Amino acid sequence: MMNRAANALLNPTARPFTIMAGAIVVLALMDRGTGYFFSLGTVFSVMQLFATIGLVALGLGLSILVREFDLSVAGIVGLAGCIAVMTGVSSPWLGAALGVGAGVVSGVVQGLIMTRLGLSSVGVTLGGLLTLQGITYVLTENKTLSYPNMAVALGLNEPIASLLSVRSVAALAVFVLAAMVMTYTHIGRDVIATGSDRRAARVAGLNTNRVIIGVFAASGASAALAGVLLSYSLGAASPIALADVLAPAAAAAIVGGVSVVGGRGSPMGIAAGVLTLCILRSGLSAIGVEPHVHDIVTGMILIVIAFLDAPDLARRITAWRLDRAEREVS
Amino acid sequence: MSEIALRSRFRSSRAWARHLVLGIRIGGATAIAVFALSTPGFTSPISINALLNAISFIGCVAVGMTFITLTGNIMSLCLGATVSASALVFLASLSFGIVPAFLIAIAFGVVITAVQGALVGFFRANPILVSIAGLSLLIGGAALATGGQRIYPGGEGLQIFKGRVAGIPVEAFYFFATVLIGQLVLSWTRIGREMTMVGSNPRAAAAAGVGTAMAVTVAYMIAGACSAVAGVLLAARYGSGDMELGTGYDYTAIAAVLVGGTAIQGGSGSVIRTLIGVTIIAIIEVVLLLRGFSQQLQYLLTGIIVLAVIMLHTIGERR
Repeated sequence: MMNRAANALLNPTARPFTIMAGAIVVLALMDRGTGYFFSLGTVFSVMQLFATIGLVALGLGLSILVREFDLSVAGIVGLAGCIAVMTGVSSPWLGAALGVGAGVVSGVVQGLIMTRLGLSSVGVTLGGLLTLQGITYVLTENKTLSYPNMAVALGLNEPIASLLSVRSVAALAVFVLAAMVMTYTHIGRDVIATGSDRRAARVAGLNTNRVIIGVFAASGASAALAGVLLSYSLGAASPIALADVLAPAAAAAIVGGVSVVGGRGSPMGIAAGVLTLCILRSGLSAIGVEPHVHDIVTGMILIVIAFLDAPDLARRITAWRLDRAEREVS
Repeated sequence: MSEIALRSRFRSSRAWARHLVLGIRIGGATAIAVFALSTPGFTSPISINALLNAISFIGCVAVGMTFITLTGNIMSLCLGATVSASALVFLASLSFGIVPAFLIAIAFGVVITAVQGALVGFFRANPILVSIAGLSLLIGGAALATGGQRIYPGGEGLQIFKGRVAGIPVEAFYFFATVLIGQLVLSWTRIGREMTMVGSNPRAAAAAGVGTAMAVTVAYMIAGACSAVAGVLLAARYGSGDMELGTGYDYTAIAAVLVGGTAIQGGSGSVIRTLIGVTIIAIIEVVLLLRGFSQQLQYLLTGIIVLAVIMLHTIGERR
């Protein structure tokens, strides 16, 4: 039993689902049958949160999968939201298309800079993040924009079967699409190959530069869609309000089993990671725990994952055991 | 074509690229200097003071970030939160007196980053992941401790951390002291040299008998101490504190480190370079302000310039 539990935690493919199940069980026990946790309201709010963080985590997770790190997602969320709100008053579809288009363009441009000049993603996307934020400030003239088309806002948040909304269904659909592409097409195989060993993939004849550019375009599109959906449903967009998505998104991707050394992770795992964080946040507040406890719980889960995934953990433990054994002998 | 001819052509093209990069760097620096000095009012005491203020707070964090980048650990997303949290600790412990409060705040910052550094150093845990974990724990812990309220100080003597001496903001003295101590540790102590070695090649450093884990841990502790100094200065300046105080400092700090020319992959860089990076960014901001650019255009131009400088540096260092 202990062994099986340990395996479920150490096996990276199963881990996101194990952690999610663990979170649900613990919250259910803490709830003690009062029914606040297992309510339709909790599920609905979990899914609303999922729609916000999930798509950003998916984009960031894909970039981590190819051993890069797309810091610019935080900037794209804000920019796409503002573009959609500014251009989508009469036609929401046009605004959404332009917002997502901006995300794709930003991803492709950054991908081109990285691959053509051979630069690291952290530097380029950091500059990209600051530039995108600057563009957002210029477009909005440093003000909060309101979106007068309230029908869209209400429509996006309209409950479907009391559990989902149009917004969360859209986020789920993107995840399903991403999972199908990653599992059933050669694109998925190419992405995993690029992330596992880029040199080997290149030697095998794969155009890894194209894969990198594609991943950053997808990451930009996904983050942009998150920004568009959020701004539409809030009926407002502002250059500052959406900046704090990077840390939760990265946390969700990592809890979702995306390996920071590249080549390991899947959209369904990322979805489980996002759900875990959302369940913790909504679940804890549903059963009346103080609001910021979920930050502490998330932090502890991340510390444990960082510790378990650390490459030198096994070596340190072996060295410590040998040391102790030697001392007992002498 | 023979292999030798190919090789020499390849080499000369690389040398040519390096000359080009050097030329652009000198040209860029001259352009910034000319642009700044030709701006009316740039050399006025008010503008110089604004410049010094701007670089002091962010500069301390950037000096700390330099140590993390230099040891090959890219960046920490937790330093901004460390700034805020140590500001809160400083304000909360002011009743013990100003100097003890300062020391408690520094010690707090050091402990926060020492734990992260130990995880990264001893087990080679992923630095960005560890820093996000630290960020979550700090935000949650601070909210529980303060109940989400702002903290107002209960003690006296904040003057030694704000105001002016000989017309220069006091914050600048603390910042320059931080730069000086940082650079001395980096180039004149054994552990400082070891940090650079670990960053450039951890395996070679370990083979050469360097305590790599210790070097990384100490680098993180220095980063925590520097962030805590920024936290104390900010707390003294505003007279109150909350967790918003240091928000966004992580990104500005790493931008300053990279603009200064410390390599993102570690092993090459210095505190002085970071001082230059912070100064360049601050000069650009002050000049744009004096020339009457709107706040939003300032953000955009600063972003584009940072992107351009980072590209330029990394092209020069490309393998």
